[in-house]
Amino acid sequence: MTEDISFIVSDRSFEKFGMMLILGTTGDAMEIKMNFFFTFWGLYLLKKKFRKIRKTPKSSGMASMMKGMGGKIFSKRLKKFGMEDQWGMIKEAVENGNVKLYPCQMTMDLMGIKREEMWDFVEDPIGAARFLELSADAKIVSL
Amino acid sequence: MADLTLNALGKKCPMPILLTKKELKKMSPGQTLELIVDDKGALKDVPALIHKTGDTILETKDNGEQITFMIQKV
Repeated sequence: MTEDISFIVSDRSFEKFGMMLILGTTGDAMEIKMNFFFTFWGLYLLKKKFRKIRKTPKSSGMASMMKGMGGKIFSKRLKKFGMEDQWGMIKEAVENGNVKLYPCQMTMDLMGIKREEMWDFVEDPIGAARFLELSADAKIVSL
Repeated sequence: MADLTLNALGKKCPMPILLTKKELKKMSPGQTLELIVDDKGALKDVPALIHKTGDTILETKDNGEQITFMIQKV
């Protein structure tokens, strides 16, 4: 019997989005229960209007431009590989009952991100105690 | 001759797995699916999925460019 897996996502980079997409959809196919807990910058990944370009206001020049463009380029390439409707794939995994996306209430308040800004198939926000309770029989992985 | 064929050429992880799972869901016990991939990772990924679903891989053919799996729904 495979353990459930709880993933903590605290970063808004495209790589983290990609990892969540691939692990979540594959786990759904293998019927492994996965919980994703989004906290701090990870909350941005749950926004309907999440822009895959990452803005780095402090840096300037070619390096940061390329970093920003990376998200868009990767997204286009993933579509070529067959992953066309990326959020649609995640929504399907949620609807199949194998994936749950939990936003962290405290960091939502900290960063001023509202539930209404998020996809409707995201769970209601929870706190650390509930996350730990959900993860009692699971492996916890920080993405 | 398989009951169903899934051509997943050009599709990369996790698409071969997701598409195979979708086909298996539609199949009746005893039916066979011929899966064609060129994603090298699929060599280990497909057995991992089938191990989980409880179905059977009857045959695997790897000609260097394409891998063909014959999968039977249990």
